Amino acid sequence: MSKRQLAMVMDLNKCIGCQTCTVACKTQWTNRNGREYMYWNNVETYPGTGYPKKWMDLGGGFDAAGDLQEGIIPNIEADYGVPWDYSYDSLATFDYTAGNEKAGLRPTSEPTWGPNWDEDEGTGNFPSDNYFFYIPRICNHCTNPGCLSACPRDAIFKREQDGVVLVDLDRCQGYRYCIAGCPYKKIYFNPKISKSEKCILCFPRIEQGLPPACAQQCVGRIRFVGFLDDEESQVHKLVHKYKVALPLRSDYGTQPNVYYVPPTEAPAKFDAEGKVIEGSQRVPVEELEALFGKDVHTAIKTLKDEKEKRAKTGESELMDLLIAYHHSDMFRLDNNYYQEFAKESGKSLLTPIDERYSSGKNTKEITHFKVHA
Amino acid sequence: MIKKLTLGLMFFAASSLFAEPAITAIKVSNSIDLSKTKPNDAIWSKAKSSTIICYPQTTIKLNDKKANELNAQNKAKAASISAIYNANSLAFKITWNDATQNIQLPQKSDIYGDGVAVQFAQKFDDPKKLPYIGMGSKDREVLIYLQKAVEKYFEPNKDIEHQVSRDNTNAFGDDLKKYDAAVKALAITEYHKVFVGEGFRSMTQVRSDYGKLGMDMSYKGGKWSAVFTKPMSDEYVDISKVGAIPASFALWDGDKMGRDGLKYLSSWVAVKFQGKKGGDALVDELTSEPTGDAQAGEAQVKAMCASCHRFADQNAAPAAMAPALYNIGGYSTSAYLAESIKEPNAVVVPGYNRNAHANFSWYSVDDNGTRTTTMPPMMSDDKSIADAVAYLKTLKAEVEK
Repeated sequence: MSKRQLAMVMDLNKCIGCQTCTVACKTQWTNRNGREYMYWNNVETYPGTGYPKKWMDLGGGFDAAGDLQEGIIPNIEADYGVPWDYSYDSLATFDYTAGNEKAGLRPTSEPTWGPNWDEDEGTGNFPSDNYFFYIPRICNHCTNPGCLSACPRDAIFKREQDGVVLVDLDRCQGYRYCIAGCPYKKIYFNPKISKSEKCILCFPRIEQGLPPACAQQCVGRIRFVGFLDDEESQVHKLVHKYKVALPLRSDYGTQPNVYYVPPTEAPAKFDAEGKVIEGSQRVPVEELEALFGKDVHTAIKTLKDEKEKRAKTGESELMDLLIAYHHSDMFRLDNNYYQEFAKESGKSLLTPIDERYSSGKNTKEITHFKVHA
Repeated sequence: MIKKLTLGLMFFAASSLFAEPAITAIKVSNSIDLSKTKPNDAIWSKAKSSTIICYPQTTIKLNDKKANELNAQNKAKAASISAIYNANSLAFKITWNDATQNIQLPQKSDIYGDGVAVQFAQKFDDPKKLPYIGMGSKDREVLIYLQKAVEKYFEPNKDIEHQVSRDNTNAFGDDLKKYDAAVKALAITEYHKVFVGEGFRSMTQVRSDYGKLGMDMSYKGGKWSAVFTKPMSDEYVDISKVGAIPASFALWDGDKMGRDGLKYLSSWVAVKFQGKKGGDALVDELTSEPTGDAQAGEAQVKAMCASCHRFADQNAAPAAMAPALYNIGGYSTSAYLAESIKEPNAVVVPGYNRNAHANFSWYSVDDNGTRTTTMPPMMSDDKSIADAVAYLKTLKAEVEK
């Protein structure tokens, strides 16, 4: 466990599945050099196949006794989908006089699967009882990370200062046990450089007082970022004070630090005549319990009660929080904290390199990464 | 003359059940640059090969479900190893059977390259206290040369401009060809690495041109042949002034998703420099047969060890309670086994992941980072220890035909 822990809360009632977060992340971190297939942030439709396919069934995480569980490592072709491009060069060199059946602009590889292949399909019968909702997923920066426990190289570490989980690419040898160990399959193998890579919670932005790109760009303003132990942070209030934000699949035992406000605001079901069935739940509460645990019932009750209170009295701190008026309140990164820490350690920025090996332990020359002095 | 006779006898004994053969490094001319040696060079016809058995690593179980299933019934693999040396370098040639050639590719995530490694001990003046076979131990460091079959790949952070996929560039025609050429030039073509280690997890890569020299592997007719060349003297291990050194070898089978601990490894093997004096104690230690009574040892070991360790048909201990001993006789020296029984704290294998199995700790760590094993000293009289070692040395998988 780190000294402090950064956390993110995502309000699923407000996620519209626009993928702006996905694009913000992709353009910043994963659009090149073997990362093309990776989505450090993805938004998947639930119920759905997920990304990678059926990730919840691939093992990893810990059992009740605290033993790391075996896992299955998904592969690019079958489980993530090979990203395809349209080559402009093929268009330029295309012979339009040859009577080809296929158009000149062709995908570089035949698309067979990809993230959101089953977007918005959901389940049930339209329009009477069909339903789906979106789950945006990033690395959970777990308090007890499965990836870290699985790594046989000590290449994964959790920063003391904020609990961000990072891969030391100098130590990583691309063995891929971390992927088996992560129950959320949020760490990816980069085949081009033969190393594992993952969401870094935009730590270079965080250190400058900016929220992660996915949170900053979110048009639905569903994401809150802050330190869990900072009682003034909205993250703390949603997780600890009102207890309406819950971790995803906490039964995997990794103690994730991304929390979700469960979706409570689906419309009611319709009967055979197309009339509203009053009081019916379109999203089965059992599904929510499977995702967010038993606490989901009290969270739903609190949300409903506070909503009613707001409607009656015009006042509810929780509803005000969830309306998300100002970015400055939603993101409390305690800028000064990082500055103070940097001053103490004599560096202008936090080093992303694992300190355990940075002193040149065992070897005279350890790194080719240029860390900011 | 007597010495020669003993050595001869020892080579003869090598064919017996327990003793390990030594490798004799043949002296070649100083004018040959051994770091440029390839597996198929004519020079190797001068060398004498020894058969060294590499046993499946079963001390620690990793968490890749599919790979564990593929490797559950592994047998040991025989490698044919020869060595040549001159004043500047020592070169090993390792040949082993592998029905499938596996090369890791830069666009696939589920392919694992075949690989091979040689391990050198930093200190070996006391042949009874060699480093732990699994990548060394505290104050007993090792130097490891590792090569793997991979296609070209990038090292990260060397060049940002050329990291973009060719289809995402704005280049056409000749410009695109230029772009492809630039990318190709930036890629690293070989996986040749050198590490220093003091136990599981601790291996740290040597980052200099040091490791770029003297490694090569080639595949032909169902066999891999690999060459490793080490300078006789360098900042890590000096082998220029001795008559013999310990070395150990490891093989990875990409077809079985082999990487890291999913490997086959030999015990410490004595490498005798032809025509050089010294090192007899080391050769004796690593080639001699255990002296104890294995049958008496079996009864003791089953009675005293099976509640924590798994071995042979003894599977009652919880899986993560202690190192599994299924192949301990294959890859451990008799001296190491005796030391561990008598003095479990002499080598506390670091890097066992305590967080992965919070309920079973092999050892505790105090505030100063000192590790204390959970295992109490088990036996103190030399006869019992020798018997136990004799039995433990029989614990190893059959050799693959």
